[in-house]
Amino acid sequence: MAYLSTIDFFEDKNFLDRWKRNLKGDLDLSWMQAKTEKIAVTPENPRRGLTFRDLDKGTYGFTNQPEFERRNRSFAPRGAELPEGLPDVQAEVSQKGEVWAYNTEGYYEEAMTRQWNATLDVPWHDLAKTELPDEISRAYAQLLTFLTEVEMIATDVPAEWMGKLNNNFTEVKNFMATQVMDEARHAEVFRKRALTTGYGLMKASPQNEISLKQIRDADSFAEMSLSLHLIGEGFVLTLFRFSEYISPTEADKKMFRLVMQDEARHVGYGVQHLKWVMRHFPEKREVIHKHLEEAENMLFGGGNALEVTEPFIILAGKGLKKENIEQGAKITAMFQLKQMEEYFERLDKCGLGERRKTSKLHRAMELTRASLQEAGVIA
Amino acid sequence: MSIMFPSLSFFQALQNTMRQEEARFRRLGFIDTTFGVHVLGPHGQEWRYLLAFEVFDCREVSEVRDFDLTATDFVLQGDLAAWTEMLTNIQRNKGADVEHSLNTLTHFGERLQMIYDDPDNRDKFFRFQESIQQFFDLTHTLELEFPPSVSRQTATAV
Repeated sequence: MAYLSTIDFFEDKNFLDRWKRNLKGDLDLSWMQAKTEKIAVTPENPRRGLTFRDLDKGTYGFTNQPEFERRNRSFAPRGAELPEGLPDVQAEVSQKGEVWAYNTEGYYEEAMTRQWNATLDVPWHDLAKTELPDEISRAYAQLLTFLTEVEMIATDVPAEWMGKLNNNFTEVKNFMATQVMDEARHAEVFRKRALTTGYGLMKASPQNEISLKQIRDADSFAEMSLSLHLIGEGFVLTLFRFSEYISPTEADKKMFRLVMQDEARHVGYGVQHLKWVMRHFPEKREVIHKHLEEAENMLFGGGNALEVTEPFIILAGKGLKKENIEQGAKITAMFQLKQMEEYFERLDKCGLGERRKTSKLHRAMELTRASLQEAGVIA
Repeated sequence: MSIMFPSLSFFQALQNTMRQEEARFRRLGFIDTTFGVHVLGPHGQEWRYLLAFEVFDCREVSEVRDFDLTATDFVLQGDLAAWTEMLTNIQRNKGADVEHSLNTLTHFGERLQMIYDDPDNRDKFFRFQESIQQFFDLTHTLELEFPPSVSRQTATAV
């Protein structure tokens, strides 16, 4: 037991006297005079309900929150009176710019209303209507194994960071909580789908897991958000869309549409966070580039692991015959090109367009494009 | 009474049907996006519609001359035959089949293309994917009519 109370309440005379008086109805009531702001709050749009944006007022709001949270170091909710004696919970992040994103409160509300249920919202009984060839089922089970692996780390990471943030970052912490639930649901739905293929889980991917470990071990929230929200989830969003595209059944299509929605919301937070950082802290540009260099390296290795790309080739080409493989390889290369294009598009909009000139991943993208052009797949 | 596609009446009918299905769309969550539908006819005709969604509703549908991509999250664009094939498929299956979901048709831009200015706004297509798909899936409740030349082409394609 590392943290002990500074008072032994069972032996403290003052505390015990107060307790006894309280039992007899002798109330103190000093808390009724809390020195906090009294405000009127109503929903701006009754159809939408009472949102965090409706609460963005005075000391309760996020707009006028200071850049550095120097006063509240406790569990006290933003806007409450901070009496003497509150513990210092030693938040690791107390700077707003480290965590804030444009529209954080909107992403949270959206997440709360768009929750779904992996047990009930996927028409599992419909899966029995479609029997898939052996190689397709195996490839699909491998893809689902990889996705389960990815989603487990995506659950752990925001959960780990939530407790490290200053408690005044209410909206960010709540958004992170929705992400934890989203990712846990993704791990659940992919595990369930893998086991319904009849082939169970297949092989874990060391190359991919090294990349995932980098996200988990990020040195700062900003690094974690770049690796997880912007890069990792950005690539996975395109992957979910591609998976919907090649899905063999309507139940699978629905599953990928549902996970896609959550993933796009997380990417949205990541993009808006990076935009916020670039606008308010332009001096961080070089640090961001340094981090992106290694993150892109990891991503390139993890994303091109055999256990990841080969199932895609088989699923996209719809089989293992030579002509299937040729077709599948072309479609998978198109998908990978799309992943990289969308990543650089997002960086452009965040004000990091110069990354196209220095990034090795950008060179890999141009090589992929040239190869597809040479094969006559794209113009 | 049958409704012609493409027409403003078609989108108004979907808007009304969405209102009647409020519980279903409320369950899917907030949908806050404004996007365009651009239909390209075989003889150079063009139809442009703007669909504005807010909270749980399709707040407004309108026919427009042009799209302002700074005020429109994205535009779904395709030729009349592709739109007709998708809608006919939805009618036949009471919802899009594996070949005709909006994501599948737009993913590589083979049948429908996504036009956008800001990728973050474009991503709203994915953030609200199930709501948008189910909105178009409501087509199965409508009796539709297509321009004669397209009807003949899609009868064999679907």
